[in-house]
Amino acid sequence: MPEASELFAELLPDVDAVVLFSPSGSYYEDVIADAQVPVLVVSDENAVGAEEFVELPLEFDDVADRIRFGIEGALEQGLVEDGDVVACAVSMFSDEIDTVTRVRVDETMESGIYNLFSDSRAEASVIRAVLELAIELGQKGQKGKPVGALFVVGDAGKVMNKSRPLSYNPFEKSHVHVGDPIVNVMLKEFSRLDGAFVISDSGKIVSAYRYLEPSAEGVDIPKGLGARHMAGGAVTRDTNATAIVLSESDGLVRAFKGGELVLELDPEDY
Amino acid sequence: MVEWRMVADQPAALAAAVLAVGILLGYLVGKLNKRLLTAAGVPGAIEGTPFERTAQSLGTSTVTIVARLSSWFVYGVAVLTAIHIARLVNAQTFWLRVTSFVPQLFIAALVLIVGFVVADKAELVISERLRGVKLPEVSILPKVVKYSVLYIASLVALGQIGVNTDALIVLLAVYVFGLVFLGGLAFKDFLASGAAGVYLLLNEPYGIGDNVRIGKHEGIVQEVDVFVTHIENDEEEFIVPNSRVLEEGIVRMRN
Repeated sequence: MPEASELFAELLPDVDAVVLFSPSGSYYEDVIADAQVPVLVVSDENAVGAEEFVELPLEFDDVADRIRFGIEGALEQGLVEDGDVVACAVSMFSDEIDTVTRVRVDETMESGIYNLFSDSRAEASVIRAVLELAIELGQKGQKGKPVGALFVVGDAGKVMNKSRPLSYNPFEKSHVHVGDPIVNVMLKEFSRLDGAFVISDSGKIVSAYRYLEPSAEGVDIPKGLGARHMAGGAVTRDTNATAIVLSESDGLVRAFKGGELVLELDPEDY
Repeated sequence: MVEWRMVADQPAALAAAVLAVGILLGYLVGKLNKRLLTAAGVPGAIEGTPFERTAQSLGTSTVTIVARLSSWFVYGVAVLTAIHIARLVNAQTFWLRVTSFVPQLFIAALVLIVGFVVADKAELVISERLRGVKLPEVSILPKVVKYSVLYIASLVALGQIGVNTDALIVLLAVYVFGLVFLGGLAFKDFLASGAAGVYLLLNEPYGIGDNVRIGKHEGIVQEVDVFVTHIENDEEEFIVPNSRVLEEGIVRMRN
């Protein structure tokens, strides 16, 4: 009976790059010290100071999602190419890296999630904060009841001109930004009311209670979604904004860009 | 009473007692200091600074060094007092000079250690902030801050032990003047824009989504921050300094 390291030896030779997911500083230095192939780091922040770095905007619990996102980002940044074979080192059960998987980079892996963060008008950190908020809202709901919410992020000036107020804007003359903990509580409270939240490129909450009035022509979103999704999808076609919608009926979080659905995720998975 | 006189009559015994109390006190002060510094979160704050690293490689730590220093100070005072009581050294002037010099030396050493740690920490924090800027010229900034702090610390330390530092102080004055003058020159636009920005943010004469004209630029306001206002029309995005907004006035377009 051969040793385990021999059994799985075929996993590792001839890779074009090594992708480390959230490595610790010392681990990264060990790897980079005698690496023969390019080493990429995928993490929520570049704590190790890697040169080839892909930012992970969400804590993907599912390892496959995490790897897919990391490779998509590397592909987008031109760090790897279609057809490359990479070894991904990732932590699955513990906090340290405990799993290695061999992945062939494929253009068809693209789902548009990376695009959502990197190519949006709004800052990636703002989109991330709003997405996290929507996920949290989807998990807990408002006082135990499921709620729906619509956030329009970025290109706020144009969005404001394509919408009208439903009521007084509680955020008028206030300077609050998404991501501050107290603001999340405020947004949760206001999510009970109808209308959209408008958030600027830099994360300032411009308004709540907005009734979006884009032209819904040529918006291609799956049938069966309600008015909230239609409004969110349509406004992203008319402007450069990104819409993040939490559905009240099925509890899913969806993101729209350019009038198309680019991301659909279940808050319960995070 | 009788016993006390007996002890007082024997300076050697008294000196020994003072020495013993001093050693005990010094040990306790050192321990207490270490506890206090640890409780105040000092080890975490100075982690990673070169001074701390050097201390670690020598098998000690900054906190231990500072605690030891305070112990030694108490020991020193005890030893001197004992010597005085035992009348081993009789010259009064020597005694006076030494007693006034020891605390100064202690403070000077303390200032130097704190200076080193603060300088290293400042360098670390600034280079951390500037890590995103991959320009070689920028890497000089943390160094400048580090050596400025070190310079001031050594100046204070030298002043403590009575070295003549007039020339160094003149140098410091020239340096500070240069910093303030050139800094003011460099940041004058930022200051003007910042002051205008505070007004614009507090009073909101225009908000995001308004159609405005500032000078020759017309469009929808996309963003207002402390220094600049982003205005966008179909073709162009203008980033207008807030000082210009106040200078040129704001025209709100009605349509």
